[in-house]
Amino acid sequence: MAVDSDRRSSRKRKQTEEDHETQPESKPVQLEMLTDEEDANEISSDDGEADEFPEIDANSDSEADDGGNSSEDEEEDVADEDEDNEDTEETEDDSDDLDSDSSLHVFPKAKTVISDITGHPKRVYPDIEPDYDSDSSTEDTPNRVGDIPMHWYDDLPHIGYDINGRKVLRPARGDELDKFLATVEDPDSWISAFDKNLQTDKPLTDEELDIIKRLYQNENPDANYDPYEPMVEWFTGKGKEEVMPLSAAPEPKRRWIPSKWEKQKVMKIVRAIRQGKILPNKPKSTKKIDFYAIWSDQPSTLQQPPPPAPKPRLPTNSESYNPPEEYLPTEEERKEWEDKDPEDRERDYLPQKYSSLRLVPAYDNFIKQRFNRQLDLYLAPRIQRVKLNIDPNSLIPKLPSPNTLKPFPNYKSLTFTHTTGRARCVSVSPDGFWVASGDEGGVISLWEVNVGREVKRWTFNGKVSAIDWCPRTDATYFVVGVGEDLHFLVPPNLPEPTFSLTKSLLAPPTLPPAPTVPSPVKWESASSASWSVDTPILSVHLPPSSGSPSQITWHRRGDYVASVSTGGAQNGVWMHQISRRHSQAPFKKVKGLVQAVLFHPTKPHFFVATQQYIRLYNLAEQQLLKTLSPGIRWISSMDVHPSGDHLIVGGYDRKLCWFDLELSDKPYKSLRYHTRAIRSVHFHPTYPLFASSSDDGSIQIFHARVYNDLLTDPLIVPLKILRGHKVSEGLGVLQIRWCNKQPWLLSGGADGNVAVWYS
Amino acid sequence: MGRIKQKGKAGAAKAYITRSSAVKKLQCSLADFRRLCILKGIFPREPKNRKKANKGSSAPTSFYYTKDIAYLAHEPVLKKLREHKAFAKKLSRALGRGEWSSAKSLEENKPVYRLDHIIKERYPTFIDALRDIDDALCMAFLFASLPSGQRLPPELIENCARLSAEWQLYIMHSQSLRKAFLSIKGVYYQAEVMDQTITWLVPYQFTQSIPSDVDVRVMLTFLELYQTLLGFVFFKLYTDVGLVYPPPLDVKKLEAAAGVGAFSLQEASSTSTNPVSKRKTVEVDGRKISGKDVRQTIKSITASLEDAEIDTPQNDRPSPLEMTHEEDFVPHPSANSAGADTSLPTLKMLETLPVPISTSLFAPYTFFLSRETSRSIFEFLIRSFGGKVGWPASSGNGSPVEEEDLSITHVVIDRPIASLRNETAEEKERRSRRKYIQPQWIVDCINSGKILLEDPYTQGETLPPHLSPFGEYEGAYNPIAGPIGSHVEPEREGSEEEDAEEEEETMMEEEGPETKGHHLKQVLEDATLDPSALRTAELAAEAAGMDYDAFEKELSKLGKKRTKKEQVHGGEAEEDMNKMMMSNKKRKLYEKMKHSQKKKESERSVLEAKKRAILARGEQETKKTSG
Repeated sequence: MAVDSDRRSSRKRKQTEEDHETQPESKPVQLEMLTDEEDANEISSDDGEADEFPEIDANSDSEADDGGNSSEDEEEDVADEDEDNEDTEETEDDSDDLDSDSSLHVFPKAKTVISDITGHPKRVYPDIEPDYDSDSSTEDTPNRVGDIPMHWYDDLPHIGYDINGRKVLRPARGDELDKFLATVEDPDSWISAFDKNLQTDKPLTDEELDIIKRLYQNENPDANYDPYEPMVEWFTGKGKEEVMPLSAAPEPKRRWIPSKWEKQKVMKIVRAIRQGKILPNKPKSTKKIDFYAIWSDQPSTLQQPPPPAPKPRLPTNSESYNPPEEYLPTEEERKEWEDKDPEDRERDYLPQKYSSLRLVPAYDNFIKQRFNRQLDLYLAPRIQRVKLNIDPNSLIPKLPSPNTLKPFPNYKSLTFTHTTGRARCVSVSPDGFWVASGDEGGVISLWEVNVGREVKRWTFNGKVSAIDWCPRTDATYFVVGVGEDLHFLVPPNLPEPTFSLTKSLLAPPTLPPAPTVPSPVKWESASSASWSVDTPILSVHLPPSSGSPSQITWHRRGDYVASVSTGGAQNGVWMHQISRRHSQAPFKKVKGLVQAVLFHPTKPHFFVATQQYIRLYNLAEQQLLKTLSPGIRWISSMDVHPSGDHLIVGGYDRKLCWFDLELSDKPYKSLRYHTRAIRSVHFHPTYPLFASSSDDGSIQIFHARVYNDLLTDPLIVPLKILRGHKVSEGLGVLQIRWCNKQPWLLSGGADGNVAVWYS
Repeated sequence: MGRIKQKGKAGAAKAYITRSSAVKKLQCSLADFRRLCILKGIFPREPKNRKKANKGSSAPTSFYYTKDIAYLAHEPVLKKLREHKAFAKKLSRALGRGEWSSAKSLEENKPVYRLDHIIKERYPTFIDALRDIDDALCMAFLFASLPSGQRLPPELIENCARLSAEWQLYIMHSQSLRKAFLSIKGVYYQAEVMDQTITWLVPYQFTQSIPSDVDVRVMLTFLELYQTLLGFVFFKLYTDVGLVYPPPLDVKKLEAAAGVGAFSLQEASSTSTNPVSKRKTVEVDGRKISGKDVRQTIKSITASLEDAEIDTPQNDRPSPLEMTHEEDFVPHPSANSAGADTSLPTLKMLETLPVPISTSLFAPYTFFLSRETSRSIFEFLIRSFGGKVGWPASSGNGSPVEEEDLSITHVVIDRPIASLRNETAEEKERRSRRKYIQPQWIVDCINSGKILLEDPYTQGETLPPHLSPFGEYEGAYNPIAGPIGSHVEPEREGSEEEDAEEEEETMMEEEGPETKGHHLKQVLEDATLDPSALRTAELAAEAAGMDYDAFEKELSKLGKKRTKKEQVHGGEAEEDMNKMMMSNKKRKLYEKMKHSQKKKESERSVLEAKKRAILARGEQETKKTSG
């Protein structure tokens, strides 16, 4: 094409030779460009006459770009050409024809008229009538709004204005069905696209289709673009060199003097080569490390080397290729091994037996196990473990043998059975011959410890929840908690002085003066006439809805008795004074539920156990002395050592705590040996023994020796576990009491039995 | 008032560092960090309280000592790894641009790190290094048996093979192998070098393939370290006994599958004879001339002088070293090379001194390995114990003993007996002079330290079980001890039997038609409990038709049994009660110990029960066959 244009340009040059004899050097370039553009025009116009108008626009644009004289020349050129065309024969190119046509139409003749207003001549062009005058019928775009966003006209009935300023109405747009029909009927529909400007579908022109096709094929969209144009040498080659220097500056010295710095650099390298620092053709860096005596010099003591990695375990007999037959796994063992995760397996292999070495196959986990070892080496944290190589039995504390600590209760000698319910409470008379036991059926039995013969039976309505003998030896009676009352009972067949003293204590002929502060607790004694042994001689009615007294405990003198009521609306600790026939609540408000109370055996102190804490109050000074925290979640019972310095506490969470009251608020020893909740603990009044009973039906006897000097720790030795009570409905042995003078134990169980354990 | 303590500025929070923050601190990739940890032997630590170490977070992470990481930050290898990263970028850039020549020059100047400083750091003394080469040897032997491939370059495999051969040569030379064990995993060897017990495991000669769940990079990193470690250790071992390291390798022999025989042990003194080794030593000297080297060279010179003088009288003592010279290196024993073993400097003398007698266990014998036995295993074993060994050409080149050799005393054979029809008289004669044993005999001899009777191991026999020479834990089941419960005192065994008899009696009585006997028993037992019931018991016995003597006897027996039971029971109960008084910590420890004891006990009892069942079955079968 370029050649073609060259040819054509030369032809043109010939035509214009007369006019422009002396053209500047740059002329051919412009000519070339011009002709090029013309070529493009020709080809596009070959396709049809559709693109006439814009193409001429482009032409004029490029001319405008060229600007200056040259454009004028070109115009002249074109004009000349036109003239030539008109003159010369018809064998001219179609393109030229068209060109001339277009130039004819585009530049209509302007008439020069004298303006009426100014009086000067002016050019008047004829009206443009695109409908009739122009033959570019497909190109006429009636809409002249230009390249604006068409949605500006979305709400309007028209879509723009034509050249005369008239509205172009929005063409009707069919519905989906119409569109579909159009696709079926119209053969051009598949090559038409939506024209924004006209708001209709317009078939694409062939050029546009051509461009699309080229784009599809990854070609240049311009059909006329030639990527392989021959190179035109403008400045190289003979006669085209620039001979004159651009500047008059003298040539610098460095152009011809060898560089000093370069020489220095080279010399440096040369010197290095001479000295052997740089080896020409140095052999490739060999991977081989040359070994030397690395351990010849003394090791530095600066840094401690890391501890050596533990060595893997050495193989045992079972790993042998030919182990004794008993090492081979049975079918179940094999299955168990296979079912386990590889991490859980005790051994990473299954023993196997081969009759000869030749039959031993490759071990398929070899690499895996090596790899695991390496993972252990660099990923596993190492811990130094101290391995104790001792006999585990040496950990068991050495305690004196129980046989040397006799006497202690050893076997069950007799059983007294309550038929009406659980034997809830047991109490032994201070002389140690009589037992009063009560059950949940309301029956209280008085019987002898030695033979178990029942002497007397009282029956009440309601559960008997607590019994305690008065510790006085001159008077004999005991208190029973039934329902919400406390009843004072006198055993039958008492010797006369004792009986009379007891009676005068409990039912004095002249009542002491009523306290000034009225108490909600009512004291009621039977009249001496109507009273018999079968009925309580004195009754104390606790305030209603206070719950049944779960524990009754006497002060050692026998004048005060404290009762703890649980399960009521207000659980209360009441302290009853027999001589004054007066009850009082020592605490206005207690934090937590009170579980048990105790009088200190020697001092005017009072222990109160709530669910988790034990508080020690001084009754004389009315102040809190100590709070003990045994760490038991729910305290069930407690007892104080006869010396008053030690306290044991049992809890429903199976714990038994020993407190040294002189020592600390924390337990000295905390034991857990029962399998179920501890129900009752009791110190022996005279022997160094204590016992605890539990819901597992067992009673544990301990030897508990307390020393007078403060330095020696108390010695606690477990002596014996007494079993014999049956567990019924989850309850075992509910209460235990020691005989005062003998190492005998009484225990009341949920099975209704009260057992006597002899040594 | 003291200074306010800020949280996380002291204690565990400062002493420990999580892995991710360690990586961040070192500014390297996780893979590089892993590599560094492997090379430097840094492993995670378990803080006492993870929460305190991790700023209150209990997320599962691994912790390192901050100091360890601080040391790592100054590691030259880390610098090299960074350089390598830059190099890799440059190389890929050059390759991507197709600049082959610059890529080549880059490749030539590739940064390579050295590990000798790490070896020195990790193992300040030689003994430290020697103690830790178990894993290194295992890896070297494993990789020597692997096929080379994409990830395992042949040079690596070759180097591993070389290292393992060098180790075997050293062990054979120093006769320091002590135990061997043929297991299902491979062959365990145990050697004692410089009073360090070294155990290594060699897989059987099969092609192994690396499973997909194994990270080869980790293994190769370990191998990198191990190769260097082994190299330095071997250098020290070889030079200490006056040998040249590395031992010269005969490529031709190696290609002919000569195995260990391709290497020749060379005295440092005999450098003058061999130009190759001379060059080697020069190199060695040129690298690092320390006082020790100078001393050694002087020593070697004197040794060679002595050598020349006294080589003749020492020729009569055969030594494995001499044999290697005969076999591998010098076809005709020359004056300089033979018998050099005995004229070694004092250090070598010292080392040979405490060698027990068992090391020359096989010295009087010559073995021939038949083609199905593994040559690599048994050549090593036999030669380590002073034996002479030959093999057929199918197992490799360089056998010093031909099959027809009359000196062969034992043939190691591992196939069933085949009927030999066309046997010449000569072959028959030869056959009668040799002993045909199965390979296990060699290992069992080594482990027992004496030559065992060959009869149970002859060809075609069912082999006796092969037991581990490494032993088991204290009180473990011992398969060679008497059949059942020989650990129990005979007295108690007797009582047990008695008990069993009694049990049987009661059983029989119970089986009887009337339950009277049982009733009587009950009554008698009551009588032992309660003297008042004695009378009724007497009556009952009379009614049952038992005479008085029998009654008395029965009664006393029962009484004895009862008291015994009570004693045992009482003692136990007492201890149980004393356990109450244990502190929580001690109780837990106690329970743990008891648990492990019980486990061991049950393991043993299971094995014993199995053994008993096997014996019983065997007896039945013999009865059946005889009856």
